[in-house]
Amino acid sequence: MSSATFAVLGLFSDAHKIVDAANQIRPRKLGRLEAYTPYPVHGLHRAIGLAPSRLGRLVMLMGVIGAGLALLFEWWVSAVDYPLVTSGKALFSWQAFVPVMFEVTVLFATFTAGLAMLFALNKLPFFGHPVLHSKAIKGITRDKLALSIEATSEAFDAEAARQALLDNGAESVEIVPVPAWDRPLSLVGLLRTIAAIVAACLVAGVGLFAAEKLIPILPPMIHMHEQPKLNAFQGSAFFADGRGMRPAVAGTVARGHLPPAFATPEEAAALLSNPLPLTQSIAERGHKVFGDHCAICHGLVGDGVPLLSRAYGGKPGNFLSNEIRARPDGHYFGVLMLGKNAMPSYAADLDENDRWAAVHYIRILQRAQNAKDEDLR
Amino acid sequence: MSATTPRSSLVRNLLVALTLIGAAGTAGAYFISSRERFWVNWLLWTLFLLTLGLGNLFLVALERMVGAHWSVPMRRVPERIASLIPLAIVLLLIGFFGVPVIFPWTYPAAAHNPILVAKTAWLNLPFFAIRLAVCAVVWMLFYRFYVRGSLRQDESKDPAFTLRARRLAPPFMVVFFFSVTVLAFDWISGLEPEWYSDMFGVYLFAGTFISGIAAMLLGVLSLVRRGRLPEVQTKHVYNLGSLALAFTVFFAYIGFAQYMLIWYANLPEEVIWFKHRTEGAWQPVAWLLPLLHFFIPFFLLIGSLGKKHPATLRLAALSILLGHFVDLYWLIFPVLGPQPLFGWPELAMASLFLGLGSLQIRRAMGRGADMPVGDPLLSRGLEWQL
Ligand code: HEC
Repeated sequence: MSSATFAVLGLFSDAHKIVDAANQIRPRKLGRLEAYTPYPVHGLHRAIGLAPSRLGRLVMLMGVIGAGLALLFEWWVSAVDYPLVTSGKALFSWQAFVPVMFEVTVLFATFTAGLAMLFALNKLPFFGHPVLHSKAIKGITRDKLALSIEATSEAFDAEAARQALLDNGAESVEIVPVPAWDRPLSLVGLLRTIAAIVAACLVAGVGLFAAEKLIPILPPMIHMHEQPKLNAFQGSAFFADGRGMRPAVAGTVARGHLPPAFATPEEAAALLSNPLPLTQSIAERGHKVFGDHCAICHGLVGDGVPLLSRAYGGKPGNFLSNEIRARPDGHYFGVLMLGKNAMPSYAADLDENDRWAAVHYIRILQRAQNAKDEDLR
Repeated sequence: MSATTPRSSLVRNLLVALTLIGAAGTAGAYFISSRERFWVNWLLWTLFLLTLGLGNLFLVALERMVGAHWSVPMRRVPERIASLIPLAIVLLLIGFFGVPVIFPWTYPAAAHNPILVAKTAWLNLPFFAIRLAVCAVVWMLFYRFYVRGSLRQDESKDPAFTLRARRLAPPFMVVFFFSVTVLAFDWISGLEPEWYSDMFGVYLFAGTFISGIAAMLLGVLSLVRRGRLPEVQTKHVYNLGSLALAFTVFFAYIGFAQYMLIWYANLPEEVIWFKHRTEGAWQPVAWLLPLLHFFIPFFLLIGSLGKKHPATLRLAALSILLGHFVDLYWLIFPVLGPQPLFGWPELAMASLFLGLGSLQIRRAMGRGADMPVGDPLLSRGLEWQL
């Protein structure tokens, strides 16, 4: 008989009484004490001898591990595997790592708290507790409090437990038998559950797919991706060279990029003059081109002192020198197209207007540094 | 009322002696060391006392606003520590004489600094004085309302006061946040007026609140040890410890957020402030701050055992208070130069101000009953279960 008992349940209707009863019964070690109450009862956890939860320590441990892993990962990513200087900061910048460390700490800690509570400490999955099949459960979910003495061994004495509960003020006592199933979670049960989940997903997926076909009112956004066009760098079987992007037809000339009609800056000097009028907007355009492309080597005022470190050995022309000042506009244009020794060609980077605007701007700089009296007025 | 035992009068005499020695040293500091150093010290210690007082007044109002029961049995302690407010206001008013000495925006050269010229609408002496006066009046009014009112309730047992105190708490919060922000902008970040940080007011508030909690913890624990709060149990102190834990984290969060954003953006006019404080001789001080203000109290308080153990709680509270001092020192003192100064003028002024503060709290500790016996919520606070 005793081996078939899961627990002996005593029902109370007074919170103080159940705490007192638990305190009386606990030292007698009749079995494991457990309590079922419809609301939290202060002091009851101590009365049934519940050990302090280990959850806190577990959460702490995992939190620290999370912080450490995040730090390790960020260090490896940004200082070892793909070292990339970002806005001049050191590769290992702990300041930038802290937010991620913080998030990962929280992530590890909360997941540990949730999962460990459910699966390790609350022993889920657990389909159906024996007490759910007792007669007392109706009362427990309404206004009764139950103290149960669970059998922990073969030697469990249900009669003694019953008597102890009655002696300590239980209003009624019920013996809850071990349920018919032997294991709360069998392999078959588990497989059935998994099969049910898979089946549910299948039904839902197929149903949605069919519904979308039948009722095509709201085409999902995914169709925006499926357009009959070729994206840049996409391959295509249609063209002989297998490329989606078409090369320009031979002889195509881009606007502002006429091929030069000269072979040296000297020829250019003889052939060309600046076609742009010197207006405010063109001067500003020249200022921008010069600042973006030229100042780094020729200096902000064009004095030929580079903004680069001294390791750059080149000697960029000093636009303020008499020699270069004397050169005509066409010469500057020629150098910009063809390049000159260490001076790179700007044929590809700048179009015609930008080039002439830069030439204007060089003249402005020259005039600014050699200002005559009337310029100052 | 505590009877004067030989021991307590000995402590009192020692404190008076400390204060007097400090006063002599302070006078010496005024004439011997530089005026800047004197007034910067004055500001540091005044703010230390003021923030402890304000933090505790805030705790009182917070309890009123949220209608907490658990803290009612301990409420006399923050009410008494809040008595630092009148003292600190007097000190701050005296500190007004130091304004032209230590605040660069008052120097004649400021007229040629375009950044400061753009800020003159805010940074000018008349408006500064008005802000100081408004803050002082607001603090005094609320201090008198909450503390005197509570003491009067001891006799009158009038529950209407409890209701009135609750109704006034939300407006107090609003005014309080503004006033602490003004305090932070005017008296601390105003020392380097080119610099500014939106978060600075919140930062000072976070420091004020957590150090207020720490001071309250120390007060409660010492009264409990003397047997003056026999009905305050572990559960009450435990909850206070939880509050301290939460707000050390809050402080660290705010402090780091302010630092990280400025560090990341790396704008010269903002980052220079941190550069002065985190490099060179100031670097060790900068590391001391998170250690004392966050790491030590956090790990002491995180477990449930730590929050039940008076010795652990006391250690955490002391660490926070020391951290609060280091915080203010680290905020204020770098204006004197790249070397952290700590010599006899600092010690002298510390003993004067801490002596005055302790005497003030001791005096307040004798005022009224040790528990707010007239508060209708007291019995609920005693019965309250964790
Ligand atoms: C990488 C550095 C560099 C950059 C960028 C650069 N230059 Fe130069 N440039 C040079 C050097 C070096 C020379 C001198 C070449 C020589 O005489 O050997 C030079 C020479 C010149 C000359 C010819 C002076 C002469 O001797 O007649 C002109 C004109 C000129 N640069 C214009 C420009 C303009 C306009 C730009 C911007 C669009 C520009 N450069 C950008 C390095 C640079």
